Amino acid sequence: MKSIEKIPISEVDLSDETFSVNFLPDLQSLCASIREIGMIQPVLLRRKEGGYQIISGYRRIRVLKELGISEVFARIFDENGKDDLQLFSFTLHENMTTRGFNTVEIALALHKLIHLFRVEPPEVIQTYLPLLRLEPNEKILNTYLSLAQMEDAVKEYVLSEAVSRSNIRKLANFLPEDRTILIPFLSSLKLGENRLREILNLLDEIARRDRSRVGEIVRHPELRAILSRRELTPSQKTEEVKRILLELRYPRLMEIEKTFERERKDLNLPPNISLFHSPHFEGKEWRIELRFETLEQYRHALFFLSQLAEEKKFVALIKEGVEQKP
Amino acid sequence: MIPFPLERIYLDEKAEKDWVTEKILQGFSHLSVERVRGKRELIKKFLSFHDPLEVGKKHLLITHDYGRRVKPCPGTSNHICCGYYVINPMTNCPMDCSYCVLQEYLNNPFLTLYSNLDDLIEEIGRFLSNHEENFIRLGTGELSDSLALESIFPVSQILIPFFAERKRAILELKTKSCSVDSILHLDHKERTVVSWSLNPSRIIEEEERGTASLEERLEAAQKCQAKGYPLGFHFDPIIFDREWEREYQETIRSLFKLIDPKRVIWISLGGFRYPPKLKGLAEERFPKTRIFLGELFPGKDGKFRYFKEIRIEMYQKMVKWLREVSPHLFIYLCMESREVWKAVFGWAPESSNHLNHLFEEQVKKFLDR
Repeated sequence: MKSIEKIPISEVDLSDETFSVNFLPDLQSLCASIREIGMIQPVLLRRKEGGYQIISGYRRIRVLKELGISEVFARIFDENGKDDLQLFSFTLHENMTTRGFNTVEIALALHKLIHLFRVEPPEVIQTYLPLLRLEPNEKILNTYLSLAQMEDAVKEYVLSEAVSRSNIRKLANFLPEDRTILIPFLSSLKLGENRLREILNLLDEIARRDRSRVGEIVRHPELRAILSRRELTPSQKTEEVKRILLELRYPRLMEIEKTFERERKDLNLPPNISLFHSPHFEGKEWRIELRFETLEQYRHALFFLSQLAEEKKFVALIKEGVEQKP
Repeated sequence: MIPFPLERIYLDEKAEKDWVTEKILQGFSHLSVERVRGKRELIKKFLSFHDPLEVGKKHLLITHDYGRRVKPCPGTSNHICCGYYVINPMTNCPMDCSYCVLQEYLNNPFLTLYSNLDDLIEEIGRFLSNHEENFIRLGTGELSDSLALESIFPVSQILIPFFAERKRAILELKTKSCSVDSILHLDHKERTVVSWSLNPSRIIEEEERGTASLEERLEAAQKCQAKGYPLGFHFDPIIFDREWEREYQETIRSLFKLIDPKRVIWISLGGFRYPPKLKGLAEERFPKTRIFLGELFPGKDGKFRYFKEIRIEMYQKMVKWLREVSPHLFIYLCMESREVWKAVFGWAPESSNHLNHLFEEQVKKFLDR
């Protein structure tokens, strides 16, 4: 390793991003730290014609420049000393032992290894995935490679919502044009990991079944109407969106569910008595739940239930079941 | 013909001296044969592949099976089953259907032929002697296709004459192939039913990779009909989509253009159903498959099935179309609830035993004609 030298920042080529995998770097905390105690770790540079190329330390040099500092401590590699892949490995090692990479940066690093530094995928799987603290698995590599090629808006969404690998894979199945429409739609909802998976699955399955596009479904008038309702919170919008997608995905089940709801409502059950149909209407079994706090409430509920057996609408519901209305 | 050309044969040392092994190897003198001891290491090796099942279809293991190979059909809980028994002379199927339950059922991905066939015949003999009071239906199409490998592994050619001598048993060979030439000359005494799984041509093309076309299957059925074999047909899995009515009616028309309904001993109907893990597995292996896009929900046995109303509608229409061809066709539902049976036929078997009894009656009626 070369000794440390002081290099004028003006001689460093900031536009050369050969070794950079930065994506939305958090410069604020780095800036505060450098302002407070200065730069501790020297950057890595390589001499090139007319100046220097950054191997590691893009963020630090940018912060120094913003702070008006004109020189940077650096270890310098000769132009022909090490090959690009060795130098890229340095930057990966250095970052993994310091700040680490975010999900998109990992994707960019893997993409560069294969497409810029020409490392064969099996070697990337065996050597570089463990270095990036990932399991050596082809599926994982492919997930990150697909993310690297997605649009910046998707990458930002992945970072801001901490989207999981399985959901990244689902996003990767959509066409770029569809993702461009989809991301603002998803961003306006409140989606945890599971809800996001549900929504993406529903969109994907409706689109594949109808041989249509996810972008078209997202433009469905009912969905747009929900998003424009200002009185709804993001969580309420999410529930409404899910309901509409379920109606599109499972029209017959949801139709019967609606009929059941109407018939249940007609029974005028007191608020402490609930009636449930069998899961997905598969069996003929019914379930009644009653809630009470006092003996009197309990007696009332039992009395109501005994009367219910004589109620025509209830008898019809139990005997005939819920039927889909044409 | 094997749909996917074999690339390698693994020969378990236990199986080296069997006559069946010799016969199998004769057909593959161009392939290298690797000697192995057991299959554990082989399974480990295959599981490290990206798609072990895909690779497995091109690799053949010849070994012995010392476990029970005649078993009750696993059926499914809380549903009416038909009291069928399965014989497993081989495991895994050379064909590759997107909906195939073997994808998640077997832990061994390669085609496996058990060359200790003499042991199997003995086991079947013992089994039938122990169940003489019952009428038994058995089939080899549970863990593989009954006929697709017949050209290299002549198990049906051994079983057909064996069953021809049985009075209280009937063998069913279920297939999606057209490999019937090697069994046509056999004296079956109508104790073997050759049956085909049928689906519309589009479904076959999209979802049943490596299988014979509908026309090829029906032509093969016609050959068996000409040789007096009782025939069975299984509309299973029926796939419900926008085209289903037109396509299944067309399939039924094609079937009875070539086949005399009087030669059909039974027809089963089964809506597409699958265990929960299959969807992820199959969609990864068959990214274009559309079969999981119906309204399918988990039932009491944990398997996903079409929404009950959809199943009833499918079965009612299928029964109507089939009865229009012949009101005498023996039609049954595979793994369905009593409620669905009632909705479709107006009655339901009391139990799986009752359904088995109805099969016995049907076989007698068929043979007495």
